[in-house]
Parts: sequence; C-alpha cells; structure tokens
Amino acid sequence: MTDTLHLRLAPEAAELTALLDALEAYAEAQELPMKAASRLVLLADELAANVVKHAQGATFFAADVSRGPDAVTFTLTDDGPEYDPLGRGEPNTNASLEERALGGLGVHFVEKLASSAHWRREGGHNILTITLDAAAE
Amino acid sequence: MQITSSTSGALNVATMEGRLDTATAAGAEATLIGMLAAPGLVLDMTQVRYVSSAGLRILLKLAKEAKAKGAAYSLVGLQPAVREVFEISGFDKIIPSYATLAEAVAA
Repeated sequence: MTDTLHLRLAPEAAELTALLDALEAYAEAQELPMKAASRLVLLADELAANVVKHAQGATFFAADVSRGPDAVTFTLTDDGPEYDPLGRGEPNTNASLEERALGGLGVHFVEKLASSAHWRREGGHNILTITLDAAAE
Repeated sequence: MQITSSTSGALNVATMEGRLDTATAAGAEATLIGMLAAPGLVLDMTQVRYVSSAGLRILLKLAKEAKAKGAAYSLVGLQPAVREVFEISGFDKIIPSYATLAEAVAA
C-alpha cells in the first residue's frame, strides 16, 4: 500500500464523487484519525467543486495526496484560467456570498481547518496545496 | 446519500447516511423539502460522515422553510467532524441539535 494518491479527473460534477470516494478509501487505508480524514474530504470537496464550477475551459483537475509523520498534504491542480481561490487581493464586495471565492464558507473552512494553504500559477496550471494535521482526532 | 423516512411521535424523521457534499446536496434537498411539514422534521445525522458548504446551505434552507411552515426542525447525532464544521460556520447557533432522537422529539 503506497502512502500517496494521484488522481486525474475530468472537470465535471460527477467526478467529485469519484474523488471523495478515493479520498475516503485512502484515509481508511492510512488509518487517519476521524477528524483528519473528514477535513481532507471536506476541503477536497470544497476546492474541487470550485474548479468544476468556475474553471471555464479547464480540461482536467488532478488531486495528489501524501502523508508525512505529522501532516497530510493535498494538492489540487487544474489547467483553467489563472485563479487564486484563497481570495488574496481585493475581494469583490458586490458579489453574493455564493459568487465569492469558494462560496465564502468554503474558503472559511480552509482557513480554519488547514494548517497551511498556498496557491501558485505554474506552467499554465493553478496549483493549490494545503496541509492538514494528520493526528486530528 | 441515502435518506430513509419514518415517524417518531408526531414528527417526521429523515435518517440520513453517507456524505452531504457538493454532489449529493441537490438530491438530498429535494427529498428533505418533501418531508418537511408541521408539526416538524428531525434529521437523524448519526450516519452522516461529512457535511460540506453545499450541505450546510441545504440545512439552512430547510430551517427557513420550517419557519415559514411553522414546523419544528432539528438535527440529531452530529458526529465530531460534522459538529466541527457546524461550529466554525456558526450553524450550531442557528439550527438546534440533540444527542438523541428521543431528546429531539421531547424538545
């Protein structure tokens, strides 16, 4: 059993279920404690749903998960337009809550539940990396 | 997400199992709205592993519908990970929740 997971999926809503199923299986195989597992699945859902809904023209999104002694690292890559979902910079205060980055609540979850979150644009891809406390029970 | 309908006392009970996530939220919404009627609806979430922001939006919409219909509305059996999401989003202050179905029915 490898301790990494790599998935490359089409940017379609139906693929979110495949992603979360795979992450749940990974968390179980890694024997992640309950909160660590649920945070991983929850944040993956929020971040990937954002790509599926908003990354116009994207042809794929990819999820990579690895586990270290203390942290789980989740990286989401897509080839949609340049977009930082962590909402750094000027927020659009005219947008409704749903239209804001990650629907407002989603980014709030990232801030509260992830140990770190980092976005970068590289090689025409959005690359978002979060780390999670692997020991959260 | 599987939803099973039953009654306890005078209340409708929706027993939910699985993930209330982006992919399952819309289907769950249609089922749960259909079960919402006075005197009230209890969602038994003992077997719900995750609730995402899409799921929270539905739970909030049900709370508003319940108010409009004069129906009681509460949640039962929130698991620690689900409770965590409720607490950081402030939903624990908006929607009443109980440890057991008996407590929800008696409330």
